[in-house]
Amino acid sequence: MNTSPTVVVGYDGSVDSTAALLWATGLTRAIGGRLRIVHAVGLLEHAGLLADHVAVHRDTALEIAATAGGDPQWIQWSVVDGDPCSALLRMSMPPESADLLVVGSRGSDAHEGSLLGSTSLELAERSLIPVTIVPQARQAHGVSTPV
Amino acid sequence: MKLIVAGPTGTIEHDGGTLHPEQRARIGSVMDGIRALELDDEVVYPPTPKAELGDLMRVHSGAYLAELEAFCAKGGGDIDPDTFARPDSWNAARRAAGAGLAAITALEDAGEGVAFVSARPPGHHAERDRAMGFCLLNNVAVAAASLTAKGQKVLIVDWDVHHGNGTQSIFWDDPDVLYVSTHQFPFFPGTGRADEIGGLTARGLTVNIPLPSGATGDVVRAAIDHVARPTIEGFSPDWVLVSCGFDAHLADPLGDLALSSGDFAELARMVNEFTPRPGRLALFLEGGYNQMALKLSVTDTLGALLDLPTHPAAPTYGGPGMKEIRLAVSDRHRALEALQSAPAGLEGGG
Repeated sequence: MNTSPTVVVGYDGSVDSTAALLWATGLTRAIGGRLRIVHAVGLLEHAGLLADHVAVHRDTALEIAATAGGDPQWIQWSVVDGDPCSALLRMSMPPESADLLVVGSRGSDAHEGSLLGSTSLELAERSLIPVTIVPQARQAHGVSTPV
Repeated sequence: MKLIVAGPTGTIEHDGGTLHPEQRARIGSVMDGIRALELDDEVVYPPTPKAELGDLMRVHSGAYLAELEAFCAKGGGDIDPDTFARPDSWNAARRAAGAGLAAITALEDAGEGVAFVSARPPGHHAERDRAMGFCLLNNVAVAAASLTAKGQKVLIVDWDVHHGNGTQSIFWDDPDVLYVSTHQFPFFPGTGRADEIGGLTARGLTVNIPLPSGATGDVVRAAIDHVARPTIEGFSPDWVLVSCGFDAHLADPLGDLALSSGDFAELARMVNEFTPRPGRLALFLEGGYNQMALKLSVTDTLGALLDLPTHPAAPTYGGPGMKEIRLAVSDRHRALEALQSAPAGLEGGG
């Protein structure tokens, strides 16, 4: 039976999700855990109507994780249908499972002072497992790994 | 039979530009499809006031409604990668929800006919407290809840290519609403497995029939016949509302099912069999993003319901999905058995 903790991190190509990915990679390195990078695919992305392609996000995310010292053997890339919040919640519940959800503080579509579009705030409210929200400012101040 | 058209709404408001598939031109295509029926003055257009907050709060939280209104008032923006709001979107969404309520009222007054809600933004992805999948307010849910508030039992058939996660979750525990969905799976929004069957107080009253890409019209009809019909007949609805997406059409850019406009005509005839009497069927526009397919599908669907001498496209046959229908039956059966033996509060899904 595998007892390594699993950390799920949301990645959408935004600066904030990059900060979250760096932080989650550092955490999984520190604790010997598995890292699952989740990219939610919506209606427009499925239809090829967004500028960025899934494969571009995958390559970028895996490169970021590798740059942060992540071991490719312990890193999994997952594409999940749905909006970001629902997709991350599903990846944290049976039949999937996770010990921690990690997201950036705002994401690509969030709006200051509004719950609408804020994946991080929605997850904090709805998740049944712990959620870490990584503020972009931590990266700006050079703190890229968990302490 | 009388045709009631609630709308058009969303022809000017809620403008996401012509690059977004959920665009204002869709309503133009729908209305072109209605005009092609050549009913002229026989079409009834009831007034469509905005839905009141009390109507909306039957299915949405007050906090969400306040947030959405404030978000629009501040200028709107992108809610998620798919879903946008503009300064006028709060009013547009209320008008779309109000059109659904107007359709019900018009049918009640007429006691006959069929109603089509020609309104956008669409609704079936909108959950109690969140917008998503192009949807801000759940129009069909607002209408269904107005009926259950009067003691009526409502069947919602959702043949949009995407699962109506919002409608399912809103009525998950409601014993007065039977939700039946055929949809491509796996696909956005990720929900809609056959073992999602409703909560303890509404066990079995969610019927999901996930279908593979390429499924044709005969498969969708078989899905409703084999999986949903027994539950529908046992439920005995007072009203039938259809989440009438046309994005399962072969030409649609957002879906991968393979229906023709004539398939929607066949589906409409089938669903009409579930109405207890005339004047109890309303169709709500959901998806459908190829303008020509949208126009033709509206014409064929309504032509079939009105028994007009139109010439619908040939129904489609032979696509994949029959195996998935058999799987759906067994998955659903297993889930029902598990739910019956589960202690209160342990049900899943939704």
